[in-house]
Amino acid sequence: MNRPAQPWRRAGRPLLLLAVGSLVAEACARGVGVGIGIVVQACVAALCAWWAWREFQATPQWRRKATAVIATVAAVVAVWFLVRHGRLLEATGLAGVIGMATGCWLGLAGIHLLLSGSTGVIGVARAVVDEAVRMRVSLGLAMLVLVLVPTLPLALDHSERLHYRVQFLLSWSLGVTGVILSLLTIVLACGSICGDIDSGRIHMTLVKPLQRWEYLVGKWLGIALFDLLMVALVGAGTATFVRLLAGTEATDPQDRAAVTEQVLTARIALDPEPANPVEYDAAIAAAIQQLEEDEPDAFERNPGAARRRIRQEYDWQWHTVTPDTVSTYVFRGLGDAKRRAAGTADTTLQLQLKPRAYNVEVDLADVRFAIWLNDRPWPVMDGDHVEQILPTQAVHVLDLPVEAVDEEGNLRLTIANRNLVPDGETKPTTITFSPGDGLRILHRAGGFDGNFIRCLAVVWIKLTMVAAVAVAAASCLGLPMAILASLVVYATALGSGFLRDALGLYNMVSTSFLGSVVERAGRAATLASEFRFYEAFRMLFGFVTDLALWLTPAFSDFDAVGRLSTGMLIPASDVLACLWRIGLIYPLVIGLAAWALFERRDLIRSST
Amino acid sequence: MIATDNERQDPETAPGRPVDAADGVDIKCAGLTKTFRDFWLRPRVRAVEGVDLEVRRGQIYGLLGPNGSGKSTTIKMILGLISPTSGRIAVLGRRPRDVASKQRIGYLPEESYLYRFLSARETLDYYGRLFRLPTRVRRERIDMLLEMVGLDAVEHRPVGEFSKGMQRRVGLAQSLINDPQLLILDEPTSGMDPVGAKQIKDLIADLGRRGKTVLLCTHQLSDVEDLCDRVAIMFGGRVRAEGTCDELLAQEDCTTIRTAALPPAVVAEVRGVLERHGIDSVDVERPRRRMESLFLEIVEQARAEGARTSGATSGGRVADFLRSGAAPSEAAAVEPAPQVESATPTTGATAVEPVAEATGPVDTALIDRLTNRQP
Repeated sequence: MNRPAQPWRRAGRPLLLLAVGSLVAEACARGVGVGIGIVVQACVAALCAWWAWREFQATPQWRRKATAVIATVAAVVAVWFLVRHGRLLEATGLAGVIGMATGCWLGLAGIHLLLSGSTGVIGVARAVVDEAVRMRVSLGLAMLVLVLVPTLPLALDHSERLHYRVQFLLSWSLGVTGVILSLLTIVLACGSICGDIDSGRIHMTLVKPLQRWEYLVGKWLGIALFDLLMVALVGAGTATFVRLLAGTEATDPQDRAAVTEQVLTARIALDPEPANPVEYDAAIAAAIQQLEEDEPDAFERNPGAARRRIRQEYDWQWHTVTPDTVSTYVFRGLGDAKRRAAGTADTTLQLQLKPRAYNVEVDLADVRFAIWLNDRPWPVMDGDHVEQILPTQAVHVLDLPVEAVDEEGNLRLTIANRNLVPDGETKPTTITFSPGDGLRILHRAGGFDGNFIRCLAVVWIKLTMVAAVAVAAASCLGLPMAILASLVVYATALGSGFLRDALGLYNMVSTSFLGSVVERAGRAATLASEFRFYEAFRMLFGFVTDLALWLTPAFSDFDAVGRLSTGMLIPASDVLACLWRIGLIYPLVIGLAAWALFERRDLIRSST
Repeated sequence: MIATDNERQDPETAPGRPVDAADGVDIKCAGLTKTFRDFWLRPRVRAVEGVDLEVRRGQIYGLLGPNGSGKSTTIKMILGLISPTSGRIAVLGRRPRDVASKQRIGYLPEESYLYRFLSARETLDYYGRLFRLPTRVRRERIDMLLEMVGLDAVEHRPVGEFSKGMQRRVGLAQSLINDPQLLILDEPTSGMDPVGAKQIKDLIADLGRRGKTVLLCTHQLSDVEDLCDRVAIMFGGRVRAEGTCDELLAQEDCTTIRTAALPPAVVAEVRGVLERHGIDSVDVERPRRRMESLFLEIVEQARAEGARTSGATSGGRVADFLRSGAAPSEAAAVEPAPQVESATPTTGATAVEPVAEATGPVDTALIDRLTNRQP
């Protein structure tokens, strides 16, 4: 028999290469340039890992472990090289990659431990986790995620203000990896199940004492656990790099404050209400009635859109302060913020403003206005009421004193337009605050860490839903169609907010799906009876889009990454609602439908 | 159809067993028909039509037929992988999809459909988990099976790197990990070298002796002839003939006398005797060895000389846990293995052929059964 060489002898050769190669890299760095040295060191590390893999070919039980250890040693040597040559940023990134890869390894061991039981579901789940890290496509995507998170800070523009950089890192790190992990989930689920069916492997599995639903649940469980590991790793990596980045030098003290008070925090936003809401609603109702009387045709054609237009117009009007007038906005429910601030040093509320200037043909760089809080001028310096001068088209945050809130928890914000008449104009301009994020009060309601964990939970719940969709699609379709169907559902869920606006779900008066179906059918019948067949067809086609949107859960309802990166609180109730709707109800319904089909399916290869 | 009484005694007579199992019938198909339909649900091909099968406890039952004759479809229906268009199936007295019956079935498909990224040990571990085997039992059985199929030296290599024959061995090992009462083998020797094929045949014979029921689906006519108690020959989705090998193969109009080599003078004398009895059509020839026998002898000799190989080794003895043919939970109660009966009367054939001329240990029980001698 051929006696295989001892493991330490096999490891010795690549390690010797590493030592010699590192000396060469050092010489290159000193003699030619640091850049060349880095390239040589990187090549040496890659070659060392590849050689280790080759060396352990004959001893498969050691191959993965030994290669991983030797590759880690090579990477650590590379980090040391970078540190010695002052490339701290790159060194941090590489150290991050090592840390994430090590975490992945440990996490997989943890999953194996968790799935050490002996049941059908666990057996299938274990196999799919092994498949995830041993099949090229899924492994490639997983490695992309593990490399992307630590190297993303290298792509940041260092001349940018720090709080924007932190915000960018948070939203990109979690957002992009969320998309990649969704693709990984779809590819893994469809590849695994369709691969089983097409190759005939499923015959070997389903003749075992395993119900078909157990097979599907096992696949889903394995993928969900793998996703959990990846989300945890991405979370750990992102949290580490965000903290490291937040600790670097800020542009100015305001920038430093913005990092902690606007990004690495968890705030609640309050939208303004009219001083007299009943009067405001009555005015809108009257305007809608007026439109109905003035333009009955236009109204009849699309009453939903007409109502929405009137409401929007009123909203814009209400957010507008015309020249030399004052507008009053009431923020209610600030009692909690006042009480919370009582015993702490944090005694401010944040007024977020995004002003726009209208009625001018020349661009206004700044707008001028004065503010009163509960009818008292603010801010007052040396006895004078100081006016605000703010650039347009940007988001500004003013710190308001929390004492200004009255005993009932209300804050009346009065804004007076103080714009001067611009050159070449005869009258001053109006100021409009964009409805939504243009005028609102924010106050701290929790810490960043808890918010971050809740955000990761939402990201993972969405991935488990994608996994359920992909498993369901793969159980009754072939590989290309299953991937396509899963991608369509994922894209619809991702863009549901935009699609709802674009496809006009709200153009119906009815807000419920069934109501809109009845309404569409009635209007299509009316149009058809008037021989307007094309319009009738469009009306019916809208039913398809309504159905697609109704069948797909809206990820935009739970935009956790967006909220986290803008320092907004993700309430636990939102996480629970997301778990209920996206993590439980939807997968359960789609899973039951898939099981009903899969249970009756003849499991023969598609080629036969 | 030809009836027969060549059956082994059913060891399971305990009350509460499913009706058919208590009757000693492990597989029963009645009027089994399968029509495959196209995307528009139009009937495309009738793969199986009105098949009746009855495989009794402890039988080695051969399912023969050319490609496309409906063998694999029948097996897949028996295993619950596809649903019959009409007809009834009972496997171990239950519906084919019943988990309790699957617990006692081992299946080797016509090709080894394995996860390429798992090693041989991981593959067996995966299937062991599906049978809910406790960790200790699973580990012990995997050790025994890997040794039995001769893959213990390469147990950590990914199955994707294995040759077809080695993958077949893994497939065979997984089909035995639950100590099945009913073993369904689809082309078990395809892709195997003659040594491996011989081992598998020996194993099947041994399992048959231990009271297991084996449904063997194959193109290898010699395998069927060597091993099977009963045979069904299928063509065009129907069973065209069914019975014991002896019943199906007996040549009533021919007699063979086998002796040690005779000198020409004695041959002439024998011819004279036969001519006196009016028999003038006599063929006298030297019998040839079977190629299988020659091959096995050469390999055995090479092995004895210490020649090296990087592939599968010869494999060891049959794993201890493959006990007599009872349900796992009842195995302890029904041991020892049931007595093998070979009570079939001869049906006229007088020719006696040597069955296994291999160099390995001679399977006397198998020879006894095929030569209709009492053990």
